[in-house]
Amino acid sequence: MTQTSPVLSVRDLSIDLRTGSGKRRVLSDISFDLAPREIVGLIGASGSGKTILSKALVNWIEPPLEIAAGRVEYKSNNILTVASGPMRKLRREIAYVGGDPMGALDPTLPVGYQIVEKLQAVAPEIGTAEARKRVVDLLDAVRIPSAKNRFHEYPSQFSGGMMQRALIVDALVSNPAFLVADNITQPLDVTVAAQVLRLLRELTERFDTAVFFVSSSLPVVSDVASRILVLEEGRIVEQQETTALVQHPKHPYTSELMAQIPKLWAEGAANVPASTGKEVVISVRDVSRSYSVRKRGTFASHNTVRAVRNVTFDVFAGENFGVVGESGCGKSSMMRLLSRLELPDSGQVLCNGDDISRLSGKDLLKFRRNFQLVLQDPFSSLPPRTAIGAILEEPLRTHGVPDRKELRQRALTVMDEVGLPSSLYEELPIGLSAGQRQRINVARAMVLQPKVLIMDETLSSLDQTEQFKLLKLFEKLQAQYGLTYVFISHDLAMVRRVCNRVAVMYLGEIVEIAHNQRLFFDPGHPYTRTLMSAVPTLEERRYHQADYLLEGEPPSPIDLPVGCSFAGRCPNVMDRCLTQSPVLTDRGSKDMAACFLLDEPINRDMRVVA
Amino acid sequence: MSVLEAIPAKSVEPESIRGASISRRIWRLAMSSNEFRFGLAICLILLIAAIFYPEWSGIDPTKMNVKDRLIPPLFLQQGWTWAHPLGTDQIGRDMLVRSLVGLRYSFLIGVSTVALMLCVGCSLGMIAGYFGGKIDTVIMRITDAQLSIPMIILAIAVLGVSRPTIPAIILVLGLSSWPTYARVTRSVVMTERKREYVRAAQVMGASNFRIMVRLLAPLILPPIIFVSVLDVARMMIFESILGFIGLGVQPPTPTFGNIIADGRKYLLNAWWIATMPGVFLCVTLTSINLMGAVLERARNRIHGGAS
Repeated sequence: MTQTSPVLSVRDLSIDLRTGSGKRRVLSDISFDLAPREIVGLIGASGSGKTILSKALVNWIEPPLEIAAGRVEYKSNNILTVASGPMRKLRREIAYVGGDPMGALDPTLPVGYQIVEKLQAVAPEIGTAEARKRVVDLLDAVRIPSAKNRFHEYPSQFSGGMMQRALIVDALVSNPAFLVADNITQPLDVTVAAQVLRLLRELTERFDTAVFFVSSSLPVVSDVASRILVLEEGRIVEQQETTALVQHPKHPYTSELMAQIPKLWAEGAANVPASTGKEVVISVRDVSRSYSVRKRGTFASHNTVRAVRNVTFDVFAGENFGVVGESGCGKSSMMRLLSRLELPDSGQVLCNGDDISRLSGKDLLKFRRNFQLVLQDPFSSLPPRTAIGAILEEPLRTHGVPDRKELRQRALTVMDEVGLPSSLYEELPIGLSAGQRQRINVARAMVLQPKVLIMDETLSSLDQTEQFKLLKLFEKLQAQYGLTYVFISHDLAMVRRVCNRVAVMYLGEIVEIAHNQRLFFDPGHPYTRTLMSAVPTLEERRYHQADYLLEGEPPSPIDLPVGCSFAGRCPNVMDRCLTQSPVLTDRGSKDMAACFLLDEPINRDMRVVA
Repeated sequence: MSVLEAIPAKSVEPESIRGASISRRIWRLAMSSNEFRFGLAICLILLIAAIFYPEWSGIDPTKMNVKDRLIPPLFLQQGWTWAHPLGTDQIGRDMLVRSLVGLRYSFLIGVSTVALMLCVGCSLGMIAGYFGGKIDTVIMRITDAQLSIPMIILAIAVLGVSRPTIPAIILVLGLSSWPTYARVTRSVVMTERKREYVRAAQVMGASNFRIMVRLLAPLILPPIIFVSVLDVARMMIFESILGFIGLGVQPPTPTFGNIIADGRKYLLNAWWIATMPGVFLCVTLTSINLMGAVLERARNRIHGGAS
């Protein structure tokens, strides 16, 4: 560390939560320093008090929370005792960025105006013209394309990544001395998150800002922070330089956290055998689906969003098939097509040889029984006012099990299988943790004893520890019932751990399908390499961000570019990619990728897209 | 996970499950409040009285007795008698029996009208909101058309042409007021049907009908039903209005409406004739509202996570 005096020093900070029956300590004896330009990371499982600590640093503790003891010193003032008037002046030097960019901006005002307003609130002496200029410059600095125009756009016109950048601008605009970043990468895709982290590192240099970076993922933190604090149950159990911590964790809790981090390339990262199934369960044949969306600002004209484009793949019985890609790449549309919530515009989805769009009546019910879906959001996917037992019995009733005793018995059995105590039978899902709720979701799918389970981002809202437990559960259920899983996810590390074969989607197309091992060690498509370079990991990367992670976001699926859709972000882009679109090319043993780099010598059979 | 391992698979003891279902717990919580018991007691007394007292007392509500006319209620003015606890009207009919018989009819009309309104309004609103698109447009335009016809004019037109029997009155009142329910239901269903759990139910294989009836209806109807209790009173009053213009239940059958209509001429010297039905109406509705409010609160508490 540096010899300069710290920007911020926290001493013996303790915070209580006042509950109906007394007080509970949520943070105890927190002490650390934050030096200028330093990035200090904080990790911990959910519920360990990370957010409370980060709010305490900016004097934002509200009842029922209260400060029990300790000081947060900034410029030799204890900011916890500063009155609200002087505190407002201090706000220009202390900034906070939260994890929910959508919730932090007013949807009815253009983004730029909101930032200017904030700047003028903390620094009234700055004129409007000057403030605007400063905001536009900063928007430029965080690489928001055409910042001048974006200044006047509304939050709904920003993508998640751009919004998070705008919030960083919002925090940086008053040249703060330190910035508290609470879980800022949580809602973002890996590639966008990696871009934001890279940006954060540059900004500490450029603007002399110290950053307190909070996250639940150790790899993310170790990517940016020079020093890491580990928080367990409101106590800091370990505090070390990043490299030292990663190599020699001292506290058992840190080791435990590190053991749960999925590995990508290390020995034993994937505990799945190569897929052995011969029997095709689902066969997707050249499926396309587009949606028509009303054009902004008009009444009658529509844009066509091509969400899924000419997708073809097979899933074999008993295997784990993964579909990965950034948000907006068509994964969820694919899920809706697979589960027959929607029908494809063209192409077929075959299940055991039958086209599922033709099914109706009894056959459809039979298909539903064998094909179950576990949804993403553990909160909105359960009816809020139905008891858990009734939730689990409902699918059985739908499928004609009338006997109450049998219903109850089967619901209790499946609850037991997924690890829900049977005392929850008459309880409402309210008050359960995300992990427990996701178990109910799995149980609801399992109660029909399906053959195929489609997991639509089922684990992405859970923290590492819960993910780990649920993956164990999935393995157990698979061994017991011979299930086939289709994992739809943006989390490569999870896919690496459990999937036999993986399809990579980009802008509605499948750009690569490969076996697990091949995909991670010999990817055929530059986009796969980009994804891998962005995954937060503690391992030595095979693909470096400097080579593969280019700035920019996927083009809008409304006006698809001519040629290869990845050309705009591809490090290996050639002239040909801008005019022609590559098709999936066989790379042997059912592995395929769609890139011209592959078919140079052998295959000249490609489509020309006008 | 440790909880799970503690409970072996086959020996699922019934004791480990909370004995009462959600709805039972709501009732139990409601029953534990004094307001609910009070409301229930009054409601039961009125109900028993309305069912049994007229027959048991043997007094004919339509029998005139000019000798005993305009007797005041107990203790309130000179000339009261135990034979007529609530007094008599201008032609000597017993007010207590008349009010109780009136309560029967008014209540019948009020409740069945509201039930009809709820049925028509909620099911149309549910269908419109759930399917959307053209179906929604058609149903909502019908709703708008219905809203634009003033209820009284519709009632006069229909009841003036046909005979004003009780079923006809229920039908007219019920069919004229459903659009509000249709609108409210539609807007709630429109937001709910986009939720993930509806999608989950579809994947389970549930038909649209099943989703509407078993999943959405239990979720959105309770608050609407709670509000509709207030409409029972409104409908009783509308029946009175119809009675007032001679299109309600025909005399000599007593309803609150025609008792009040008759009594208004004697307000100065026999105020109780018009007042008694009003008192009954007030007490009935208060007791229902008390129970409704407590039930609603209990429901919210249980659904909010209280055990």
